[in-house]
Amino acid sequence: MSETPFYFPRDDARLFGLLHRPDGTASRTGFVLSHPFAEEKLWSHRSFVSAARALAAAGHPVLRFDYTGAGDSSGYAPDTSLETHLADLAAATRALAAQVPGLDRIGLIGLRFGATLAALTMERAADPATGSTLPAALRTGPLVLWDPILDGAAWLQDVMRADLAAQLASLGKVVHTREALTARVLAGGIVNIDGYELGRDLFASCDRKDLLDATAKRHAGPVLVVPIAPPGKLKPRADLEALAGSYARATVRPAEEQPFWREIKQFYGKAPALQALTLEWLASA
Amino acid sequence: MMHDVLPVSFRGPHGHLLFGTLHRPAAPAGDLPAVVLMSPGVKMRVGPGRLYVPITEALVARGHTVLRFDFHGLGDSEGELQETMLADVYNHIEAGRYAGDALAALEWMRREQGHRRFIVAGLCGGGVTALYAAQRDPSVEALFAIGITVTLSSDAVMPAAYLSNAELVNRRKGYLRRLFSLRSWWRLLTFQSEFGVIFRSLFAKAGKPPKPPVIPAGSALTPEQLGNLNPMFAPAFFEFLGRGGRALLVFSEKDREYGDFQEKFAAFHADRLRAHAPQVTEHLVLGANHVMSLREWQQETLAVLDRWLAGASARG
Repeated sequence: MSETPFYFPRDDARLFGLLHRPDGTASRTGFVLSHPFAEEKLWSHRSFVSAARALAAAGHPVLRFDYTGAGDSSGYAPDTSLETHLADLAAATRALAAQVPGLDRIGLIGLRFGATLAALTMERAADPATGSTLPAALRTGPLVLWDPILDGAAWLQDVMRADLAAQLASLGKVVHTREALTARVLAGGIVNIDGYELGRDLFASCDRKDLLDATAKRHAGPVLVVPIAPPGKLKPRADLEALAGSYARATVRPAEEQPFWREIKQFYGKAPALQALTLEWLASA
Repeated sequence: MMHDVLPVSFRGPHGHLLFGTLHRPAAPAGDLPAVVLMSPGVKMRVGPGRLYVPITEALVARGHTVLRFDFHGLGDSEGELQETMLADVYNHIEAGRYAGDALAALEWMRREQGHRRFIVAGLCGGGVTALYAAQRDPSVEALFAIGITVTLSSDAVMPAAYLSNAELVNRRKGYLRRLFSLRSWWRLLTFQSEFGVIFRSLFAKAGKPPKPPVIPAGSALTPEQLGNLNPMFAPAFFEFLGRGGRALLVFSEKDREYGDFQEKFAAFHADRLRAHAPQVTEHLVLGANHVMSLREWQQETLAVLDRWLAGASARG
């Protein structure tokens, strides 16, 4: 197995990628991993590395990459929007296809906002109006959604709690309420999310309840939807069941894991249950 | 700001392949020392909130070559850590787990990139790792640390025992703020709260000078070992200063590392620190948190760094 870091372009952006190549004859199904937003990316990073290595050990070429304004890629968070994220992911799928010619299928695996981006990208690949800019191998590729964000508006309000927490720690009180922060960002200002500056373009483009909804999907490949909750805390997720129902070939399989995309007391070198069920499902997908 | 950047990898002392990025200025400014940024805690080479990105850009803009890389078992690098709790990972970092990786990075910069002079830098645990590298590698001229930690993370197991006075006062303010919070009362009544910390914080006094630890008669332990002060910190720091090293230590006002540094280290080594005063620059960023998440805090830190580097250049 080899791991090769490289940069690839997306318009003016310079995106960092790391390609995991399996030893011997590779499977003709490759994967692009789509990381979550802001600090969630860093907390979950090692679980992504572990999943990529497990996939490569199972014979799959895998590309991990950093979105614009994240990790080692160029740009800053205020430069981004939903469209730039989708363009980044599209560029990553093209980069994988270029690095590993001959792939029959390219699958996408994403966590939280990264999962939402993966699902939206698969719809674009399946749409005749937009699909021509994406590798054809995506159309039948597996799609794995780890705890995807469906309600973008609620997610953004949750994301802004980081700014409130920073105010409490620094000023001893909340000076700018969530409503004030929302007004500020919509007026062109920024809100600080653990060091990442959330700007108007990303906020406005994701501020909708139906960011990822249950309307019928075009994607023809197999889909795995994974609700994640700590051990003993799993509850039925009607929203994710409905999402799965919007695909032709979807399965819902919950995973018991701590919220490893946040700071928790445990060190998460990998998400064992999530990784195991994903690999098991992919083996038959 | 775009500059020349190259993905790189090299072997650590245990054979792990370590990944990083090498950032080179378009026009290197003379024989400036190269900078190696040490990853903080378990975060990868960009640091929390990508703090290392603006630091890298500022350094490159000044003409420095910068390497930031992942330690084994973290980020993109090879290796697996066996710990299951974060505090244990932090503890091992503070005890020097990654000193070997840091020295390997310096050796790679020497061998493959031809650099001879270095500044090592890092946030929190990255600062401690940088210090250990500075202690052991004579080609390290200077240390730039943000929120350097002088303690061991064993306090994560017994928080009440080790919090500095400044931190206890800070915690008390937080408890008072949450006096009317139903959630806080729920935590208290369901025994989820840290009762030891709450109790100690009630009696903490702002500005109270640190009380020297009491050493039991016949004990072989040092005062430092009786607290949670990292016993390796002072020897490393003074050995580095002893051979002429310079240090820029930036702290955040709302960070427990500052109180720990003042109360547990500086207070006990005031005389030795005074002897090395010209070599050590301290700066406190008012209102800032541990990871310097706001742009203005980062800009203040970079301005201080810029002045410190300019002073070093002027001295030659």
